[in-house]
Amino acid sequence: MFVNGWCRIWTSCRRVIYSSRKRRIGGGGWRTLTGRTGPKHANTSGAQPWSSGAPSRFCHSDFGDLYENVSVQKYIQQLTEEHGNVRKKLQHLYVSESERKVLQMRHTELLPLVTMFERIQEAQKDLEELSLLYNSAGSKDEDEQLMELCKEEEMQISSKIVDLRKDLMEALVPQDPLDSSNILLEVISGRTTGGDICQRFTSEMFEMYQGFASYMNWDFEVLSCSDSEYSGLHHAAVKIAGENVYRYLKHEGGTHRVQIIPEVGLSSRMQRIHTGTMTVIILPQPVELDVRIDPKDLRIDTFRSRGAGGQSVNTTDSAVRIVHLPTGITAECQQTRSQLKNRDTAMKVLKFRLYERMMDKENNLRHRARKQQVGMRTQSDRIRTYNFSQDRVTDHRTGYEARDIKAFMRGGEPLYHLVCDVLKHSEMEALLGAVESSSSSSSLKPPELEQSAD
Amino acid sequence: MSVFKSVMWKRALNAGLMCQPKGTWGVHAVRRCSAPAVPVNRITALQAMDIWKRHFMERGVTEPEHSSQHIIAHLLGAKTIESVERGKLTELLSPEKTEQVWKLCTRRLSRMPVQYVIEEWDFRDLTLKMRPPVFIPRPETEELVDLVLADLERFPKPGGVVDAQRSFMEVGCGSGAISLSLLKSRPQLRAVAVDRSLDAVNLTRENALRLGLQDRLQVYHVDVMKDAETVLDLCGPVSTLVSNPPYLFSEDMKSLEPEILRFEDHAALDGGDDGLGVIKQILALAPQILSNHGPRFCILQKDESNEHLDMDLH
Repeated sequence: MFVNGWCRIWTSCRRVIYSSRKRRIGGGGWRTLTGRTGPKHANTSGAQPWSSGAPSRFCHSDFGDLYENVSVQKYIQQLTEEHGNVRKKLQHLYVSESERKVLQMRHTELLPLVTMFERIQEAQKDLEELSLLYNSAGSKDEDEQLMELCKEEEMQISSKIVDLRKDLMEALVPQDPLDSSNILLEVISGRTTGGDICQRFTSEMFEMYQGFASYMNWDFEVLSCSDSEYSGLHHAAVKIAGENVYRYLKHEGGTHRVQIIPEVGLSSRMQRIHTGTMTVIILPQPVELDVRIDPKDLRIDTFRSRGAGGQSVNTTDSAVRIVHLPTGITAECQQTRSQLKNRDTAMKVLKFRLYERMMDKENNLRHRARKQQVGMRTQSDRIRTYNFSQDRVTDHRTGYEARDIKAFMRGGEPLYHLVCDVLKHSEMEALLGAVESSSSSSSLKPPELEQSAD
Repeated sequence: MSVFKSVMWKRALNAGLMCQPKGTWGVHAVRRCSAPAVPVNRITALQAMDIWKRHFMERGVTEPEHSSQHIIAHLLGAKTIESVERGKLTELLSPEKTEQVWKLCTRRLSRMPVQYVIEEWDFRDLTLKMRPPVFIPRPETEELVDLVLADLERFPKPGGVVDAQRSFMEVGCGSGAISLSLLKSRPQLRAVAVDRSLDAVNLTRENALRLGLQDRLQVYHVDVMKDAETVLDLCGPVSTLVSNPPYLFSEDMKSLEPEILRFEDHAALDGGDDGLGVIKQILALAPQILSNHGPRFCILQKDESNEHLDMDLH
């Protein structure tokens, strides 16, 4: 189960981070010279930066900290070796055209990583030289001046190292090729017995994502939208287009839960907390060529397909429903008064869903995981809780907590921070995953690479 | 004959408009209808929709739910119920708004098509003004425009002549739906449209003006059945001739639903004994109107099953 897998990797991640944090000294994110030599010089007077008003989290960690991870270090070594081998191979004359192309691509991929790593090592060397200078300084006046300069430069280099490490870690995160895609976002109300909590919550979530799209300067195109009889929303489908939409919103898919104490005026017996749920589905937009649909495979239902049409009938029913016969996937739209426009919109949605089905077929773990997030829509699958009575939003995958739920639901900066946090966690997990899988495969690596040096 | 028809329509309209509890309408009123009273207490749009849906159902008005939804959405400034601004549906309507709802919905009670009640409708990506008795564009005709556009793509004028010198003629333009859609999609195209109904000619001109397309469309009041030569004199050869002509059999006219029978121009529907009267006339004209280049074929939309008859004109 994906959720368990996530938890398992999380505990290992936390262990890694905590162990590096023990060696982490000082506040503000950089290490002092003395700190590098051992924990006995730990400066414990520095305030913990993450407890001062910032949202609390279970697993607070920085990308840069992963640098200290033994497996990550090994991984970097492997990549450096690979880069060396690739470069050597490229210098050989008897490399075939196709192989040259592959090697060239790999070289282009690895070069920036290796360069960053070299710069980190250079900076560390500078730091060591500086520490020698520092330790050899006496207590005379001019030496005190020298010590001041040393300290300043030490701060600079240390901060540079931190930045470089963070950059390197981020560069090592395996890229999701779908990250830059536009998406189809769907909000679906859950079911409760009595009342309209779910529908109202769905409507608020719709507006939250609308606000977020505006904040991120994305295009928010409503494809279909069905209000409930009360003041709420049953279901809506939106196409969001812009830069890296999928990257930011891919982790929004799943069950969201709301906890609310209903309006004042009810008897105390009714004043208990009410719970509702809704589901968010995020589908990446297929590239046109990826989804080819044969018109023969489609059954298009319109008013006229149910009987007479044409000049002999007057109708205002322009709803369209398309069924893809081989898979049974459907899409419908009655958003506009033009049947043609509704049909085009329904086709768009159908393509999103077909693409999703295609990706599923490829047994991609990511997509399976996403489906499982949405599948059951039971309480146990919730990814986030919006607690209006306690004024906080909690993401259950990372423990991230945000206050001021009213501001959060406007979909601006607070949501952006949460989304970035979830993204960071998942990227770190992806990095560790790549590291682990490469270390397990390296032991099985064929000996050919070692023989390349001739 | 036509005088009687126009009187009938006017009376039907008046019956719809005067459906007030205290209203007086003549013995010749097409249908008795007593309008439900405007509520005393304020109600929400949703409640109004529900009330009128029930009224329509009680009186046998077709598409009761769609009718009330479209009319009320229109009065709330939206085109469909889905696109009404969030929250507006559950707000209380002002007394003025409620009266408007009642006025328009009462018209629908007389079986006036929704398109005439709200005086507009959408066709592809255009919003057109609608006015009885001018024929209301059917959804199927949206596809006809697609077919013409596809052909314009596939068969550019030989000699590298670009859209700028291409023109088409539409016979029986009605509200202007087909011509205006084509002109909107192809900024360089020019067109000539004719209709035997002066109401249609005026409405097409009005819609062209509203859409800013009046410079590329000339509309003439001509009856192709009677004045074929006049049609030929209107313009030089065109590369395309397009039409959604009347095609119903005369004997089928009387079984049409009230929405059409009472309110739409019968001449826009009645194709004669074999349904092909106007079609044949257009086809006879075609060789003289069409320029000498390019293939000759036409696509006719016919029948409930929406078969397209592709006929080779050679």
